[in-house]
Amino acid sequence: MISTAQELHPAPVLEQGRTILELRGLEKRYPGTHALKPVDLAFKSGEIHAIVGENGAGKSTLIKLLTGVMPRTSGEIVWEGQPAALATPHEAMALGINAVHQEVVLCRHLTVAANMFLGEENSRFGILQQRAMVRQAQTIIDDLGFDLPAHVTLGDLTIGQQQLIAAARATVRGTKFLIFDEPTAYLTRKEADQLFTLIRRLKGEGVTIIYISHRMEEVFELADRVSVLRDGTLVGTRNIAETNDAELVKMMINRSIEQVYHKEHFTPGAAIIEARNLSGKGFENVSMTVRAGEIVGLYGLIGAGRSEFVTTLYGRHRKSAGQILWEGKEVQVNSEHDAIKLGMALAPESRRDQGLCLNLPVGFNLNLPIYKRISNNLLISSTQEKTQADRQIADLRIKTPTRGALASSLSGGNQQKIVIGKWLAHGAKLFIFDEPTVGVDVGTKAEIYRLFGALLSKGAGIILISSYLPEVYELADTLHVFRRGKLVATHGFHAASHEDILTQALAEKQEKLGGQI
Amino acid sequence: MSTEAIAVEKPKRNYNVLFGLTLLALLVLLWILLSVTTTSFASANNIANLLRQGSMIAIMAVGQTFVIITGGIDLSVGAVVGFATVVVAMMINAGFPIWLAILVTLLVGVAIGMFHGFGIVKMGLPPFIITLATLTSLRGIGLLMTNGNSININSDTFTAFSRNSFIGIPNLFWMVILVGIPAYIFLHHSRWGRYLFSVGSNAEASRLSGVNVQRTIYMAYTLSGLCAAFVGVLLAARIGIGNPTQAEGWELQAIASSVIGGTSLFGAVGSVHGPLLGAFILATINNGANLLNVNSFWQRIITGALIIIIVYFDGLRRRGK
Repeated sequence: MISTAQELHPAPVLEQGRTILELRGLEKRYPGTHALKPVDLAFKSGEIHAIVGENGAGKSTLIKLLTGVMPRTSGEIVWEGQPAALATPHEAMALGINAVHQEVVLCRHLTVAANMFLGEENSRFGILQQRAMVRQAQTIIDDLGFDLPAHVTLGDLTIGQQQLIAAARATVRGTKFLIFDEPTAYLTRKEADQLFTLIRRLKGEGVTIIYISHRMEEVFELADRVSVLRDGTLVGTRNIAETNDAELVKMMINRSIEQVYHKEHFTPGAAIIEARNLSGKGFENVSMTVRAGEIVGLYGLIGAGRSEFVTTLYGRHRKSAGQILWEGKEVQVNSEHDAIKLGMALAPESRRDQGLCLNLPVGFNLNLPIYKRISNNLLISSTQEKTQADRQIADLRIKTPTRGALASSLSGGNQQKIVIGKWLAHGAKLFIFDEPTVGVDVGTKAEIYRLFGALLSKGAGIILISSYLPEVYELADTLHVFRRGKLVATHGFHAASHEDILTQALAEKQEKLGGQI
Repeated sequence: MSTEAIAVEKPKRNYNVLFGLTLLALLVLLWILLSVTTTSFASANNIANLLRQGSMIAIMAVGQTFVIITGGIDLSVGAVVGFATVVVAMMINAGFPIWLAILVTLLVGVAIGMFHGFGIVKMGLPPFIITLATLTSLRGIGLLMTNGNSININSDTFTAFSRNSFIGIPNLFWMVILVGIPAYIFLHHSRWGRYLFSVGSNAEASRLSGVNVQRTIYMAYTLSGLCAAFVGVLLAARIGIGNPTQAEGWELQAIASSVIGGTSLFGAVGSVHGPLLGAFILATINNGANLLNVNSFWQRIITGALIIIIVYFDGLRRRGK
């Protein structure tokens, strides 16, 4: 009755190199979008198959079809020679198809062990065998070489550690086909290494691994084959030994870097904002100036203090020391309201959590910062409300049926245009863009970058925060590098190499590598 | 461009109007049914009575809706009504002019609402908790003040108001119009109304867009408290006594009216006309059930079933959109 870790583990019985899952003309349409055009692809057991592509290329759609989260429009999925309906997640799991998502989808309030056995609890006469489960979970975790306790609450672990637990969980369920969706997004290098060890081990046991990542170096480190998706089309599949970075990028975006990053240079004007020795929660002693007509890029890893710095400028957090000067005069920015009154605008990092009122109309979202202006003391001018919203929709080419459509019904790129667009009518002088192109396709990216140029030409200044180096590298007139709360380096446009900037951003992180998780 | 803009606005407005019309149709249907099946329903007396019954819940439901749109809930309104009857009764009996007694009572409602705002914004308490605490403690304070007795109001001018009519319509119903029109303008045509919606949809995004979220929350609960205190004044006038245990369970009727009127308990969806119609639908069901000699226990069951049916169909349609 009491199962051991051995029983829970998939025994290495799967035959290597045999086709386990085959897609035949797999296709998915949403109303208005052709998310996945007919795809033919075969996955072999015991291979690590990377799938790369820009955001919106169809990767998530493919995962959702394979894990039974969504029904396909047409085509066939053949599992071990038999056509499979894959209509429900349950069916996918029963076949042995599992996924580890970028965001941990587990119960944070339960223990690690409870999460490992969620849905397959070990019970005797209806009573949970809690101690036995903790013991088994611990055995599995130790076996995988993760130095983590099984009895603690999952939420007490770091996101990276939770991710490892999610991966461990997927391995104990007789998994034959495991999808990793950007698993390393929140992992430290050491955690990532542990994960890679786990992935290679599963491969050795004959499990098929689908590895989705934006990080080319990981693809080349791990994968046997790589498939490229672009705009819902499978562009091609390559053996990893027979391809290179440049080829994959070209396949992914089908255009050169110059076409995406349309950079206009303006002569910088007067200083708009200046931070002098500014310190606050998460960063210290940062000084920088943003002048009219220039893009100031802030590069660094997540948690390096970039976002904290700008939200302090924006009055979200209190500064602990230093000064903020606006157009040469010292100012106190105690709230977002103060910042907006001065002429700042912030397009935040997470459009869902911070940027948009999703269940309200597009027009409402666009007008939110300017309702004060388009109303007299009492009433809103409904004509102005309409014309302002329609103008932004037209200028930004936001693809929406009407201004009355809910923001949630738009695609990520168009939602991002709203987050940015709502500030255009406001007439701000300083625009702060925090990761403006996350989850946005290349076409929209190019449009957003062109928008930057339009703002600069009107005499605005821009602070651009990005974790994606090419973006800040190609666009920023001045590039500041953050590491662990400090501004560690400043470069002019194209004045340093990618490698130098990366080293500056990572240096301390690498020193820490030998340490504990 | 302009023709396109008009065409563009239609779907959403249609939906709101359609939902409002559906409720109105339901109300009219109930009235027709009751007029046919009972002899007494269509009498002037009964209609006036129905309007009086519905009016007070309707006014509370409007205030409640403001709160629910921000994603909150105000459980205290029934207790505020009871407490307000005590305050206004004590002041009138103490010889204060009626206008002053009413004014002070309304200010008490404002103060209670501000206190809720304080608890939510400054103390970080969930709306459910802070208003639940007020619900129980206000009844207690009222009982302490009255020693558990009812206070008979000794001013006929005051009590006559709620019995009288103006051009054939009961004064109490005029009060619904007095509250409803400014509330409609406030919610649908002022920027503060927009901010209620935006805070209910995404407080963080609103704050980053320059909306004063804290002030918006204060405003919603203050208006709810004010509406409830106003209903307390009306109730005191109607029954001629001040008693802190009055209006037991009215908060649930107010919430039910609001929800039947299309307000989403998840916030960011709601109107003024919806809760008003909702309140009169509930009042009609109660009135009709009395006239039809339906066991009054059934009224509660019917109300519950109605909430489920209306909200279910509303949700279906929203999802289908």
